[in-house]
Amino acid sequence: MLKKILNVFTLSLPLLIGAPLIGAPLIGAPLIGAPLIGAQLIAVPLIAATLIAAPFHAMSADLSSVDVASIVKNAEKAAYYSGNDGRSDARMMIVDAQDRKQMRQFTILRRDIEDNGDQQMMVFFSRPADVKDTVFRVEKHVDLTVEDDRWLYLPALDLVKRISSGDKRTSFVGSHFFYEDVSGRAISEDSFELQQETDVAYILKATPKAPDTVEFAHYVVTIDKKTKLPILINFFKADNTNYRRVEAVKIEEIQGFPTVVRSKVSDLESGAYTLMEFRNISFDLGLGDDVFSERSLRNPPREWLN
Amino acid sequence: MKNIAKNLVRFCTQKPKVVYIILVVLALLFTAQIPRIKIDTDPENMLDAEHPARLFHNVVKTRFAMHDSIVVGVVDTSTENGIFTPSSLTDIYDITQSILSIEGVISADLMSISTVDNISQSESGTIRFEWMMDKPPSTLDESATIRGHLARLPLLQDTLVSQNGKAAAIYVPIKDKNQSYKIAEQIRQNISKLNGNADWYITGLPVAEDQFGVEMFIQMGISAPLAGLTIFILLFFFFRNIPLIIAPMIVAMATVMITMGALIGMGYTVHIMSSMIAIFLMPIAVVDSVHILSEFSDRHKPGAELNETIEEVVGHLFTPMLYTSITSSVGFYSLMLTPIPPVQIFGGFVGTGILLAFLITITFMPSYLSRMNNASLEKLQLVMHSQKGGSRIAKIAKFLGGFALKFKTSLVLSFAVVFAISVWGITQIEINDNPVRWFKKDHEIRVADKVLNENFAGTYDAYVVLSSSNSLLSLDDLLAKDKPTSLASWAAEQVTQLSGQPLSEQYQQLLINIDDKLFSDVSDIQASYLNTTLQNAESALSQSKAFQSPELLAYVESLQDYLKASGLVGKSNSLADVAKVVNRELRSGEQKDYVLPNSPQAVAQTLLQYQSSHRPNDLWHFVTPDYQETLIWLQMTSGDNQDMSSVIALVDEFISQQPLPQNIQLRWAGKAYLNVVWQDNMVAGMLESLIGAFVIVFIMMVLLFRSVVFGVLAMLPLTITITFIYGLIGIIGKDYDMPIAVLSALTLGLSVDFAIHFLERAREVFKQTNDIKQTFDLMFDEPATAITRNALVIAFGFTPLLFAPLVPYITVGIFLASIMAISALVTLLILPAVMTMGKRIVFK
Repeated sequence: MLKKILNVFTLSLPLLIGAPLIGAPLIGAPLIGAPLIGAQLIAVPLIAATLIAAPFHAMSADLSSVDVASIVKNAEKAAYYSGNDGRSDARMMIVDAQDRKQMRQFTILRRDIEDNGDQQMMVFFSRPADVKDTVFRVEKHVDLTVEDDRWLYLPALDLVKRISSGDKRTSFVGSHFFYEDVSGRAISEDSFELQQETDVAYILKATPKAPDTVEFAHYVVTIDKKTKLPILINFFKADNTNYRRVEAVKIEEIQGFPTVVRSKVSDLESGAYTLMEFRNISFDLGLGDDVFSERSLRNPPREWLN
Repeated sequence: MKNIAKNLVRFCTQKPKVVYIILVVLALLFTAQIPRIKIDTDPENMLDAEHPARLFHNVVKTRFAMHDSIVVGVVDTSTENGIFTPSSLTDIYDITQSILSIEGVISADLMSISTVDNISQSESGTIRFEWMMDKPPSTLDESATIRGHLARLPLLQDTLVSQNGKAAAIYVPIKDKNQSYKIAEQIRQNISKLNGNADWYITGLPVAEDQFGVEMFIQMGISAPLAGLTIFILLFFFFRNIPLIIAPMIVAMATVMITMGALIGMGYTVHIMSSMIAIFLMPIAVVDSVHILSEFSDRHKPGAELNETIEEVVGHLFTPMLYTSITSSVGFYSLMLTPIPPVQIFGGFVGTGILLAFLITITFMPSYLSRMNNASLEKLQLVMHSQKGGSRIAKIAKFLGGFALKFKTSLVLSFAVVFAISVWGITQIEINDNPVRWFKKDHEIRVADKVLNENFAGTYDAYVVLSSSNSLLSLDDLLAKDKPTSLASWAAEQVTQLSGQPLSEQYQQLLINIDDKLFSDVSDIQASYLNTTLQNAESALSQSKAFQSPELLAYVESLQDYLKASGLVGKSNSLADVAKVVNRELRSGEQKDYVLPNSPQAVAQTLLQYQSSHRPNDLWHFVTPDYQETLIWLQMTSGDNQDMSSVIALVDEFISQQPLPQNIQLRWAGKAYLNVVWQDNMVAGMLESLIGAFVIVFIMMVLLFRSVVFGVLAMLPLTITITFIYGLIGIIGKDYDMPIAVLSALTLGLSVDFAIHFLERAREVFKQTNDIKQTFDLMFDEPATAITRNALVIAFGFTPLLFAPLVPYITVGIFLASIMAISALVTLLILPAVMTMGKRIVFK
């Protein structure tokens, strides 16, 4: 099945929908997932995070100087910008506080306009069967003054609808990922400071520049030195309770890009969580403009979907 | 029997110190348990923990995450904008923020204007999800915009804000309802720091329950000692001799302490019923002592051998005291026949406490009296014999006797008429209860309840739960179809690996596993089998999601319309409402699109959008993730069981007009519903225990008097009394509620006491005199005086309940006091009248 390449997606899924999952900022954010491969979506961080996905090679160089800005930027790239484009099949298992499970399955296609810059994404749902062919289309803009453009296609209602973003920290289709986790939270939205450096990772604390727009007071992201990927993000409330966690559970190297292929977001207060798994990840597929066009909503590019 | 009594009394008079030591040790031992007291104020405990309705209620609460909630209400009538002003909305915002940080609050499910989402059309063709109020508005216009948004969302309007815009509510779900008082206190403190014009209210069942617990302690701390004091004063009035009346007080204290200690020591919680044990036992426990004191003070003559008098008195009273104790305890024990655990525990412990009081009385009283010094005894004689023509009580008793004999025919006729009217009155009884009404009208909780229910669709919840029977094949059966032998072990592995999970989850995982299997190296035959099975599983899974079907949602919708039209339900909320709102916003945003999507897929896709909000889990309050169960949340402005019962009847009526779709079951849950269940149980159970107690007491009377006629006579006064009281309740329209129900059986056991003493003595006197007139003359001397004294002790003993802070205690106090007074009066009037009229049968 899907074996296609993944790359793509890795990235960012973000937005996909809208909401970036995690939201995590920069780096951070990408949760984990981002990495390469496919999974990105997950990656929570997305956007920003992108970093993650990005090849690490780039980064390795600057690390020694502990240039926080570039760590963050590289992480964003690694998490969300692997290759120029990519695809991935994602499976999501949403597990609620009562351990009840719901599955979602979709394919993500992503194309970068430029690294650490604007991106285009498409998310095509295949399961559950009742929502099959539901599509999200996202044009992500890193300029904070420009809202992302998001569209939605609901086949059973025969309806294409534009989504006004409001904010991006809403649930991604009922999961514990936020839209922002999927699309990536722009690294420019937070201020980062290095909390700790270990042999293998940088631990950064990120504080939102506009605290009114997010539900967290700060988050702490662990960025793996080797892959540049954010591999753990803990979100804290003002009273310092750690209420949410995004983690990269499994990272693989795909086409040279370290990619998060399995990630997890946990609601630490209720014990609920969502697992996301990416398969059939490939990058640098040469996805064309038409794949990301409005027309694709009703006429999905089947060749890239399975 | 008499011999045992004699020996026992002799032992006690000779070794009083042994009796004292045993009593002191027992009292200390049991009293030491009292600090371990655990209060239980949960009305749910009126049902057995294993009761199916309660089990289901709790399953529903968990499954749909319907938590116990504190309700904070705010009302601002100072301007026409109501709460939609920058200042009130800022207060709501700030209070909400402060509540979110309180420990024990389930912040994800807290509902307030500032924590819910708005779904709207921003520009045309655009759907927007955003916080309803992510920061407080700074202008009236912005406030009005928020009001406009809320008015478009039927799930919030009338629940979170009132239609008139004057009131808003914050629903604060809490993890543990035992924390509710503490959390409510913190909220109150935060509210007290505000300086707006709005009035704030805090209510909700958990707060009410916690508050109830607090007031129960007050009740126990005040009423029981007050009852003791009242009894002490009464006894002093009767006997004017403090050393003498200390004895019955010791009996009462020891009985109460040992009984409560035993209850707590055995691990039972103190519920509203058991909190009344002390005040019930206190007056009942002194009754036997009063009989002994009365007779002792009459019989003891200066210079006579003290111990002989004691033996004579106790021997004389032993049988009637034993029987009255047994009949009283039978009345209470009969409560154990009701299916309501707190009532059973109450009945069991009071019943046993009464027998204990009897034991203590016949051992301790002789010991105590035998150690009284001569000075005290002489003083007693002086008082008792100086009252010329007898004490005031004796005069009243004598008067009653004369009256009864003089007007016997009119009396019997009047009682017959009263009885007949009472029977009619009983048929008028309205059965109804509402735990919030256990608080007095001016109580903070009652006030908040009233205000919030005037402004909103209702703070009383009931849930209608529709479930579909699972239509999925077992995994084994699904995989069996056309299975290639080469995949037999793979299929078997699936079945084993996935077993134990809900079937719909097994299917979801199977889809994943088949995908993975297809990805590996499979033959064409295997691939074709796997693909077919994949499709079968997918379509079966879709079909199993019953409540994605527009037809079923339309059924839910028409049930809601039916309820709404009746006016009995303030509002109902369901999955159908969610689907309609999102559908409207996905389409034009106009009322014409406020309809259900037209296919299961359309419903699924609509709901997927609903989940793309800040509160995706709100969906799971209305449907389970497998879409096989749905919940309709009914909000009602009244928690009266009668009103809830009418709503249940209404739903039954709807079902008879529009039968439930195939494979769909309807069940009820919710606190308002549970209250109806336990009340129905109680009414049925009480009737049973009343009949049970009546029959047992009657048989005991026949055995005691060895005469059916005397048995009937003994039952006569209490039958008239109980019929009268309940007839009165029916006629004046007082609701038949929990305390009233509980009273019926136990009063039977208490009020028969008077008849026993009267009949026993009458027969004895008649044996000596063989003359009816003389018999009654003597009867209305000391025996009638003792009966009257006891009636007063018990009746007054219960009056401190009138000062209790909670209504059920007051009800119990008023009714018990009146029942005791009336039944004593009826006994003294009707028995002589009937016995004289039927002398040929009675005195054979």
